[in-house]
Amino acid sequence: MLFKLWQVALFTYRESLRQRIVYGVLVCAALLILFSLMFSGWFMRDILKIILDLCLAAVSLGGLLVPFFAAINLVAGDIDQKTIFTILSRPVGRGLYIVGKFCGLALLACTIMAILTLATLAALWGAALIFDPFFLCNLSISAILVAIAMKALATLVLIAVAMLWSTVTTSTFLATLLTLCSYIIGQSVESVVRFLVLQQNQLDYSPLLRLVAEASLYVFPNLAAFNFQHQAAHGLAIAPGEVLFALVYGLSYTAGLLILAVLLFSRRDLS
Amino acid sequence: MPAILCHALSKTYGHGFWRLQRKVALANFSLDVARGEVFGIVGPNGAGKSTALKILMGLVRPTSGSAQILAMPASDPACHAHLGYLPENPSLYKKLTISEHLHFAGQLAQMPSKVIRSRTAELLALVDLPLAAHIPIQRFSKGMTQRAALAYALFTDPKILILDEPMSGLDPLGRQLVLEIIRHCHNQGKTILFCSHILTDVERICSRIGIMHQGKLVAQTTPAELAQQLPASASASSATPLERLFLATVQKGVVPEGKQGEGHAL
Repeated sequence: MLFKLWQVALFTYRESLRQRIVYGVLVCAALLILFSLMFSGWFMRDILKIILDLCLAAVSLGGLLVPFFAAINLVAGDIDQKTIFTILSRPVGRGLYIVGKFCGLALLACTIMAILTLATLAALWGAALIFDPFFLCNLSISAILVAIAMKALATLVLIAVAMLWSTVTTSTFLATLLTLCSYIIGQSVESVVRFLVLQQNQLDYSPLLRLVAEASLYVFPNLAAFNFQHQAAHGLAIAPGEVLFALVYGLSYTAGLLILAVLLFSRRDLS
Repeated sequence: MPAILCHALSKTYGHGFWRLQRKVALANFSLDVARGEVFGIVGPNGAGKSTALKILMGLVRPTSGSAQILAMPASDPACHAHLGYLPENPSLYKKLTISEHLHFAGQLAQMPSKVIRSRTAELLALVDLPLAAHIPIQRFSKGMTQRAALAYALFTDPKILILDEPMSGLDPLGRQLVLEIIRHCHNQGKTILFCSHILTDVERICSRIGIMHQGKLVAQTTPAELAQQLPASASASSATPLERLFLATVQKGVVPEGKQGEGHAL
């Protein structure tokens, strides 16, 4: 079982590496990192923050490519173009197909993000050579690595979201749109709920609205829970409890989405 | 126990925006294919041929009825270890090469690397693609893709082959090659179920032929029975016996007398 899963993951990974867009995004992200070195000098006291903001944005961009392009192309496109028969005509169940595809895409996301992490570390090394050490005194490599690891976890959640939408819709466009909506809601839902809680005495809104907002916090992926960029940029200590919560939340949410995707996909006719 | 057994299969698809309109693709479809037999299904477009094959591959769930492959439920992926499937207009992964596809099939079957390499060379030679091993599929012509997909279906030396329009998109040479491969597989004792629109090909290679119409298997015959000419009253005088039987069955909805395959109009 695990051997077959690994084979499907490897096949997916190999195919995804041949997508030109992967290299396009890698080039864009590398340019962003280069610009961070070139332009951060304009900001003097905020040199480290600017470099890290741009570099971490590049890492995020590289990671986001996978759920928005690769995952949808490789799963919804697989169903659309009937390439799925190539795998399902082998002794591979639908559950194995979904989980195998997810693992292959997760491998792709990790590869891209690992390359961009190395580029980020190279940019920081370059900054240490160019700028006065005073401007980099808040640098905390461990905080940066934790922030990137959490970004990778958020990417895994989004890949699972993209896979879920790919299994329930028949169009790649609709799957992309639904994944984008989930991403936007996931990025902002925590802020909206926090705002509603803080302003409950000042604002007159229906309890139903708050209930819907709080329910959204559980239904949609709360991507803000994986955001440790602020701590990394300012060299602040990251509480282990927060990281543990994000880890457990991310893994269980991803597992839940994959189970749902497998259940829905098992019932689907591939005509 | 037959190699392939379908019992009273029905399939109704929902279509339209809300999928509330119903379309019957299969209605009480029953079939049995004995081990080592080559069974050809012919029928007009929309007769339900591909749906029947997809149910056998577990790609489509029947509304009712059952399908078995080597006494295992067709929905069980484990039975695919004994199956080779060539879908209609096969689509392989465009960025990958045929040798990568074959390697994947071999790995899933847990074949040793050495065997995978020798089998790849053997099959690429069989489908006349020996020089295309490392070319991405996106650079293949339609005929090359069809032959590559056939190599993929045959890679693990399956006991049963299910081929959906194996000759579509092929030039006369390619068609001849595929016919030879099917014959070769038949001689090896493989069970072959395939559907095709090319009646002359079906007539040439099948041990048994079934005619599908409106989701049902309405007639069965054998090449031996077809060898006895149909009555001159059949539709087109220049047509082959199978063409005449096909046209008579599909156009008029009746099976000509004495041509119901051991007496069964199904």
